[in-house]
Amino acid sequence: MALTNEELLSAYRYMVMGRMVEEAITKIKGNYHPAIGEEAVIVGTFYNLRKDDVIVPHYRGALIAYIMRGASLRRLFAGILGKETSYTRGRYRGDIWGPLELNIIGMYAGALGPTLSLATGAALAAKLTKTDSVAVVSFGDGTSNRGDFHEAINLASVLKLPIVYVCQNNQFAVSTPACKALGCHSVADRAIGYGIPGVNVDGNDVAAVHEAVKEAANMARKGSGPTLIQALTYRVGGHMVADPAVYRPAEEAEEWRKKDPIARLQKELINIGVLLEREIEGMRKNMEEEISAAVKQAEGDPLPGEQVLGLDDVFAPAN
Amino acid sequence: MRRMTYQEALVGAIREEMRRDSRVFLLGEDIGIFGGPMMSAKGLWEEFGATGRIIDTPISESAIVGAGVGAAMMGMRPVVEIMFGEFLALVMQQLACDASCMWYYSAGKTRVPMVLRTKFGVGPHRGHELDYHSWLIHVPGLKVVMPSTPYDAMGLMKSAIRDDNPVVFLEHMNLYHWIRQEIPEDEYTIPLGVADIKREGRDVTVVAMAMMVHHSLDAAEDLSKEGVEVEVVDLRTVAPMDKTTVLASLKKTGRLVVVHEAWKFGGSGGEVAAMVAEEAFGDLKAPIVRVAPPQIPIPFSTPLNKMYLPDKQKIKSAIRKVLAK
Repeated sequence: MALTNEELLSAYRYMVMGRMVEEAITKIKGNYHPAIGEEAVIVGTFYNLRKDDVIVPHYRGALIAYIMRGASLRRLFAGILGKETSYTRGRYRGDIWGPLELNIIGMYAGALGPTLSLATGAALAAKLTKTDSVAVVSFGDGTSNRGDFHEAINLASVLKLPIVYVCQNNQFAVSTPACKALGCHSVADRAIGYGIPGVNVDGNDVAAVHEAVKEAANMARKGSGPTLIQALTYRVGGHMVADPAVYRPAEEAEEWRKKDPIARLQKELINIGVLLEREIEGMRKNMEEEISAAVKQAEGDPLPGEQVLGLDDVFAPAN
Repeated sequence: MRRMTYQEALVGAIREEMRRDSRVFLLGEDIGIFGGPMMSAKGLWEEFGATGRIIDTPISESAIVGAGVGAAMMGMRPVVEIMFGEFLALVMQQLACDASCMWYYSAGKTRVPMVLRTKFGVGPHRGHELDYHSWLIHVPGLKVVMPSTPYDAMGLMKSAIRDDNPVVFLEHMNLYHWIRQEIPEDEYTIPLGVADIKREGRDVTVVAMAMMVHHSLDAAEDLSKEGVEVEVVDLRTVAPMDKTTVLASLKKTGRLVVVHEAWKFGGSGGEVAAMVAEEAFGDLKAPIVRVAPPQIPIPFSTPLNKMYLPDKQKIKSAIRKVLAK
């Protein structure tokens, strides 16, 4: 079930692309929450899922998962800028929201936790309609202390729902370190209380994350119920762009920067001869061009006018 | 005198109350070394951290509020912080179904001296802006405070902490770091349930709270150049509502505009209007006009957001409308 060399290379591309997209957003949005350093969890979790699987990514890194689902870069940037060409026509913030037509469930409000329940509902729908699709939801260590986490996972366990819960444990909830907010050592330890498998995985190793999620998804497809996975990583930056993270020792972040998942995978790919050092620059340049073209298009796109406000568009009409 | 922002006044009030009463403690997310989101608790950790009275919690809103209520029942005076008002949805059971009815159901035996403070309002942050105060005022037993100035924020926060009932203190994010105001060195409190006339006028009464007081004052300033004198009544406390001040102002002007950032349909402005219609219909020279957002979720994009939110221009046209009759 391990990734082939070709798959590893494509996962690497998503990770690099994801980081470059986030770096571009960082320049235009001070309250953006980047996932720099956490790309292995995001890409490993949502890599190679089926189109009919429902993905419910954590807000930190959501755009990377949306790109993997085939979302348009231009429309995603338009979402950041509130342009009419965005998936919501500018009605909603684009940094935490993706379209359902790509089988993405985004966040519809700022509170953490409800996405776990919504994902559980998507898995319930899959079970009721007797398809073998699964739901995969990721969330932070902080979110795992909300009631929604406990209630959703227990419900999925008793109903044996086809869902994988992945904790993107970056060890911080804003300023609060996970070691001070969790009564247990790992979020996966809690699985025993729900009677489901709990798995710990190195969150900076994209192949390991993917392997764990893939195995859990296969079990879910066969009707064996949910799995709770903790992928341990580290938030190397602040909670958001404007947060200097002065509340923690700088050396700690420095140590983790050395474990950067992209650098780590790149080295591995070069070692096994799948990636040539001289190819990297060209690859990055192509991505950069793609990103700046999308940003430019989005910047040139129109802002929504009065007709988008939709004073009579609160209820769905009869279908 | 000291010049303070709204945020500094709020923190100052909590600091002084913590010094005054050792039963006062803080419970919430990122309120320790971090100093609170948007500096909502800045400097308190440095002074009180060692005493164990500033408690950083996991992201567990219902437990934070439930624990606050429980501690208050046992005689403590918690100030619980829910980062943003939109998270009130997560704590409505503990707040609006449990805490609010304890004094009444215990036949006057159980007090819940708790303050729930939270940030809201469309502002520079552009997130978590929802104004849910109208949900809260529907519930008997909850006091709801929405200050518009640093001076009021200080005096009202002190009263809220000293109050023996659950008080929800809604802090507007756009006001947080904006204006500075002279604050007396000497201690003062502002009673809950008393409105304030922020500008006197004889022609029209505008009732508003929090950020909307400032837009109303701007509208009043503009219109005074045209010879229209607008009286701006700042409710300050939406529940219990100061009917006396509103009715006295209306008696003088005979015309009423109500402004708020919460949705118009089912909003507290409807309660002000209904109260006036019931108790002072004869004083009205024109139909009441409400200025409040339309019945749609808060739109994100800047031009949509601007269309959505009440502002000076919308308040001015509402005033002109009530004057036309």
